[in-house]
Amino acid sequence: MNYVPGTASLIDDIDKKHLVLLRDGRTLIGYLRSIDQFANLVFHQTVERIHVGKKFGDIPRGIFIVRGENVVLLGEIDVDKPCDTVLQQVSIEEILEEQRLQQQAKQETEKVKMQVLKDRGLSIPKADNLDEY
Amino acid sequence: MANCDYEIVFEIVCQSFKPKRVNISLKYTLDCSTDDSLSQNNQPLTLSGSSPLPDDDWQEEHKRLAELDERDGLGPSSPSIVISDVEDRGGEGELAESLARLILEADPAIAGVGATERPCPSLSLPPGHHPSSMLSYQQQQHLMRSRGSAPISQMNSHSIWENSMGFGPVSVTPGLVTHMEDSPLMSIIKEVGLPKLPPQGRNDEGRDLSERVPPPRSSSPVIGSPPVRAVPIGTPPKQPMSHALNHQTHHPTAVHVRAPVQHRYPPPFPERLSPNTLLNIANSPLCRGPFPPGVGPVLSQIQRAQLLNSQVAGFARGGPAPPLLPGGGGFRPYFSGPPPPHGHRMGPLPPHGPPNHTPPIRHNTTHLHPQHRRMLTQRMQSRGGDRGRTGGDRRSRDPYSNLMTQKEKDTDPYLDDYYYQNYYEKMEKRQERERDSSKKEHTTKLITPQVAKVEHTYRPVQFAGSLGKLTVSSVNNPRKMIDAVVTTRTDDEEKREKQVWNKRRQILYTVEKMYSLLLEVQDFEKRFVQAPEEDREALLEQHKTNTVQLCNSLREKEWDDRVSDEQCVMIMSVRKGKRLISRLLPFLPSPQATAIVMAIARNLPALAKKDKQDQVLCWLMEPVSAVIQSLSSSALTDLLQELQGNEGQLATVLHNKFGVTLLYLILSEGERMQSSDPNCQLMDDNRWTELVFSVTRELLSVPSSSLSPPLFTPSNLLSLFSRYVDRQRLELLQNKLQISALTR
Repeated sequence: MNYVPGTASLIDDIDKKHLVLLRDGRTLIGYLRSIDQFANLVFHQTVERIHVGKKFGDIPRGIFIVRGENVVLLGEIDVDKPCDTVLQQVSIEEILEEQRLQQQAKQETEKVKMQVLKDRGLSIPKADNLDEY
Repeated sequence: MANCDYEIVFEIVCQSFKPKRVNISLKYTLDCSTDDSLSQNNQPLTLSGSSPLPDDDWQEEHKRLAELDERDGLGPSSPSIVISDVEDRGGEGELAESLARLILEADPAIAGVGATERPCPSLSLPPGHHPSSMLSYQQQQHLMRSRGSAPISQMNSHSIWENSMGFGPVSVTPGLVTHMEDSPLMSIIKEVGLPKLPPQGRNDEGRDLSERVPPPRSSSPVIGSPPVRAVPIGTPPKQPMSHALNHQTHHPTAVHVRAPVQHRYPPPFPERLSPNTLLNIANSPLCRGPFPPGVGPVLSQIQRAQLLNSQVAGFARGGPAPPLLPGGGGFRPYFSGPPPPHGHRMGPLPPHGPPNHTPPIRHNTTHLHPQHRRMLTQRMQSRGGDRGRTGGDRRSRDPYSNLMTQKEKDTDPYLDDYYYQNYYEKMEKRQERERDSSKKEHTTKLITPQVAKVEHTYRPVQFAGSLGKLTVSSVNNPRKMIDAVVTTRTDDEEKREKQVWNKRRQILYTVEKMYSLLLEVQDFEKRFVQAPEEDREALLEQHKTNTVQLCNSLREKEWDDRVSDEQCVMIMSVRKGKRLISRLLPFLPSPQATAIVMAIARNLPALAKKDKQDQVLCWLMEPVSAVIQSLSSSALTDLLQELQGNEGQLATVLHNKFGVTLLYLILSEGERMQSSDPNCQLMDDNRWTELVFSVTRELLSVPSSSLSPPLFTPSNLLSLFSRYVDRQRLELLQNKLQISALTR
């Protein structure tokens, strides 16, 4: 229930299943238990879902407290809605392996790209490093 | 499946309260067809073993069965009737048996219960148990439901709505149309299900007694004071009182439940099955009339059995096996089911469905603007309506729900800034510490509860049954004891009033002072006589002083010897002052006395006006007359002149009793002077004559009504007038003034 009309509030999302995307790229799914003015979130029975290609894997994480500033987006999951996706769930080990491979591949390509650019005298900083001071 | 008639005998095994086991057989038929031809084949199993009845006879059937049920309660022999009837059937009996066996086998709970007794479908009732009383609704319901949902899943296993249980939401199986034929069920239901009414006799008594009790007070026991409430009056209750509401909204009225059938527990639902549909299924066996509108396919017994199987298997796989508890208790088959195909499972057995979200309850919105409140209610309702139906029931089972208290939810970020508040809290603490370091004792802080700013409407104590409102005075309701009227006066008015009062007070003060002097003077003689020789001197001295003082007080100014007119008038404006003067006059020396009398005459109108209330001018008569008699002729003339004064004064004088008397006195004195002393100087100048003339003129012209009768009429007035007026006028005067010639 919105106590301050004309504003968006997370109060109505309490105790519902949510999916949150964090700034570091992680996807968490869990029951939103508590919030505060900074949009810090408390998740219950959280699961971290790793997507690699068409596969995904769920890693149960328990209780998560997410600092508000790290939230990219947050959305409620409708449990009633039928889940007919093309995604295929795999085991944790498998998905982690897949992820590792993906990261590796990415790094390889990145390395090659950087090398090529370096050869041409250009230096483009990696976007994902900008955040980290 | 269409047009098949089936009848199934459901046997419900109940666990009695006593260790003995009781099996009751109930039956009703699932009849999907209204086809008469077919229905003839349908041999309903009746307890009494009679031939199949046409539908009209269900009433009679009911009656019979009711009797039967009554009989059943009597003795152990009754069950045998039931059972024998069951056995009477040929193929149908076997059918019943096999089904019963299936059910019993399939359901682990039931199996566990009825294990020992199973071999024969002829189940015996333990002695002394009333079959109907053994029936536990929970079990009945459960089985109904389980049986109800099973067939559907069989039918719609491919539907997209399929859920984890393998059920689809039931488009309600027109298929599973049931025909509740009768009476045994109904009667039993009726007996068990109907709420017991207290015996009438007791009820009446109870009511009578209660009426004798004096009417309760409608308010707090503390007279006058409102009840102490931590929460202001008018706050909605904290507890979600909408449990009942919950169930009502979330279990919508698709449930055509007849009165006896009661949900004693929150009905359990499998995860994916809409409560709507499940209830339909569950209750349809009970609720449909003999001729259901739509006829659909009815499952074969095998299908049903399979359904039951799967349904029950769900039990086994899923959560804890539901214990079949007798009476009350939470019979909650927990449909956990296999993990959903798309992996929504979260870790260790998550709670099913979204956690509890009771329709938002406004705990305290009293501090909000009324329009705001209304908006919230509307939103609440709309949201509750939309969402309640789908997920509401699931939320009731989430043990981790409501971790965030309402108070926390109510935090307004615009007002409650954590850092701001904490900063100031710390600051205050620091200041307090600094302050308190000097003092020994710590000043206790007043911690006021954060009560919403609501208008505490105080309703005074009312006594129930009283006529009218009896108010009792109390701290919160003080009664007006004194009707103090505040008259506000402006500053000017106040000043004037004050001045007046001050003056009056001054006059009174003067009068008092003079009085005391006067009294001393009056007492002098007496004292003088009594006093011894040596003191007489002193007394005399004092007397003189007093006299002098008295005279002085009559003067307006210190250096002026003359008697102040104003002062005299002032003194005489007061009643006591008049008295004073009357007593003082004899003691005054002649000139001053004369002066006073002159003053009186001069200011007679004013004095008369002031005297209106008191009417004590006449006190002055005697001393004044004494003074007049001592007057010289010129003085007398002057006096008369003074009395006449300005234009119109004489009229006023004549109007006043004292004035008239005074006039007469003067005239009579004049007359006496003239008559006694031929050489009196009264006639020396014409003043006297003229004055007398004017007086007579006035006397004649003045109407009799305005002529006030004098205190006394001097005798020589007639002779006076006879000197100055002609005969005619004299007579007139005579009449007017009622001067009798004889009074001499």
